[in-house]
Amino acid sequence: MKILEVENLNARVGNFELREISFCLNEEEILVFLGDNGAGKTKILEAVSGFIPLESGTVKILGKDVTNVEVQKRKIGFIFQSLALFPHMTVKENVEFGLKYSRVPKTFFRNVIERFKIEKFLNRYPDTLSGGERQRVALARTLVTNPTLVFLDEPTSALSPRERVNTAKEIKVFLKKAKKPAIFVTHNEEEAFLMGDRIAVVEKGKIVQIGKSDEIFYKPASKEIANLFGTYNIFNGKVIKNENGVLSVEVRNKEITGVGNFRVGESVNVFVRPEDVILTCEKSKSSVRNSFYGSVTSILKKGPIFEVKVDVGIEIISFVTRGSLEKLQLKKGKKVIAEFKATAIHIFK
Amino acid sequence: MSRSDKVLYVTFFAISIGVLVFILLPLIRLVLFLNPSTVAVVKNKSVLISLWNSLSLSFTTAIVSLVVGVPTAFLMSKNMFGKFEKLVETIVDLPLAIPHTVVGIALLFIIGRKGVIGSLFYNSFGFKITGTRLAIVLAMLFVSLPYTVSSSREGFKKVDDSLVKSAMVLGAPMHSIFKRVYLPLSKSAIFSGFMLTWARAISEFGAVVILAYYPMTAPVKIYDAFSQYSLNVSGAIAAYLLLICLGIFLTLRFSFRGMK
Repeated sequence: MKILEVENLNARVGNFELREISFCLNEEEILVFLGDNGAGKTKILEAVSGFIPLESGTVKILGKDVTNVEVQKRKIGFIFQSLALFPHMTVKENVEFGLKYSRVPKTFFRNVIERFKIEKFLNRYPDTLSGGERQRVALARTLVTNPTLVFLDEPTSALSPRERVNTAKEIKVFLKKAKKPAIFVTHNEEEAFLMGDRIAVVEKGKIVQIGKSDEIFYKPASKEIANLFGTYNIFNGKVIKNENGVLSVEVRNKEITGVGNFRVGESVNVFVRPEDVILTCEKSKSSVRNSFYGSVTSILKKGPIFEVKVDVGIEIISFVTRGSLEKLQLKKGKKVIAEFKATAIHIFK
Repeated sequence: MSRSDKVLYVTFFAISIGVLVFILLPLIRLVLFLNPSTVAVVKNKSVLISLWNSLSLSFTTAIVSLVVGVPTAFLMSKNMFGKFEKLVETIVDLPLAIPHTVVGIALLFIIGRKGVIGSLFYNSFGFKITGTRLAIVLAMLFVSLPYTVSSSREGFKKVDDSLVKSAMVLGAPMHSIFKRVYLPLSKSAIFSGFMLTWARAISEFGAVVILAYYPMTAPVKIYDAFSQYSLNVSGAIAAYLLLICLGIFLTLRFSFRGMK
């Protein structure tokens, strides 16, 4: 069942425009809006909530058109980037704030404070709480009014990277337990993959791609989307052969084979995830269509993996584990073969 | 700290101390003016009445300024006047730029016996506004209202937009948000405006003396005593007014600071 349907939403805030925004949110689903700062993610949420007047388009919640319904009556829970806890109210007063205006049973309050484990600091003020505690209070305050869906606008942005991952996980568990569909805004791809059942990539006031996280990660619709996950292995070339959808693309005198539907002569981008690039010392006997000889130009440690750059005429990046690094005795100048399957290649305009 | 930095700070400190002395010296001298011989001055009933008039009417003015100034300030902080915003802002601040005797004359044209409103009152109820406590409050209000409006407006503007939006998505209508979010979070600014308005109203002389020489307020009484009697009498009244004002303002300021 579709909880939220947004169709052809157009809006303007100063010089910034939201253009042709269409998406839906399914039951119990978490949809992530991913994009750089200033892409328009928050503005979409604000337009859907009713804070920004629409030039055109419709917003439906549970099938009912709410385009002209006031903010207070849309039953959307909204957690802002700052969390927006009322600083002059205690935790209890904060959580109780919305009860006055919603028709939820009083027992709901008890259930929520127990679920979020905030009984201990009900009489404290928000400025005396830790980041994680404030998060829980904000969630409790939102969910106590039993909204139909919840918007979370970068609620973890003020936390340290480690706290951020843990808090995001916690938020996901809370939302799933409460069976609340939600839209989660972030500019952090790690958080996006952690939270999202689906991801919508937002750029310059538009949703440029929406789909399952793997789809966005491995088959980005544009160079800009691919760049969201790091600028790796995106090459511009020209289609020189198309045999029933198996394309040969010439990239600086190298022929890369992939799958796609472009005409011979068309200019395209070829993209391969660094995880899909295998480095070997001997050519593999399998049916790998892309195999290039080259030499290692740099090795960079990136947490638990190593980013290895190989010059094969073009610079290809591969992610390898410590085990592989040691087994292949990789070092600067070492001759290697970079291989990747034709199906690992994503070709786009 | 470099030598040039030290010179800068020492110079600025010297200037600041000069400023403090400039403010405090005449006030301290005035308080020291009180002695057994000048105490008798306040036993005069007309002096006591003038002190009471000043305090009560300026307090009334400050209360009225809250009632009419806070809603205006709220609308201004939310840019509700649209393209007229600057114009409204200028009009509200205008009394600060006008000499107070000019204010008195201007108000006289409105509330005087032959003024637009004054004649209406006189013809309908036989009530002459000038020379009454109402005239004094109107004069005080005109010159001191901008303080409440400006201070409250800044207070409302400082309320984080996300708090208001949060309250809205939680279902609160704007009158609730005003009462439960805007007012408590702006109370310090509103109180500050209230205090400034009260202080300004107590000290008002120019407009008041034109609209209502009688009933006398303390500043008018001080002027009256100065021109008719001596510096001793006017100095004593001034010293008492100063002590009363300081007492009230310091008490209110410190008691408010303790509030959450």
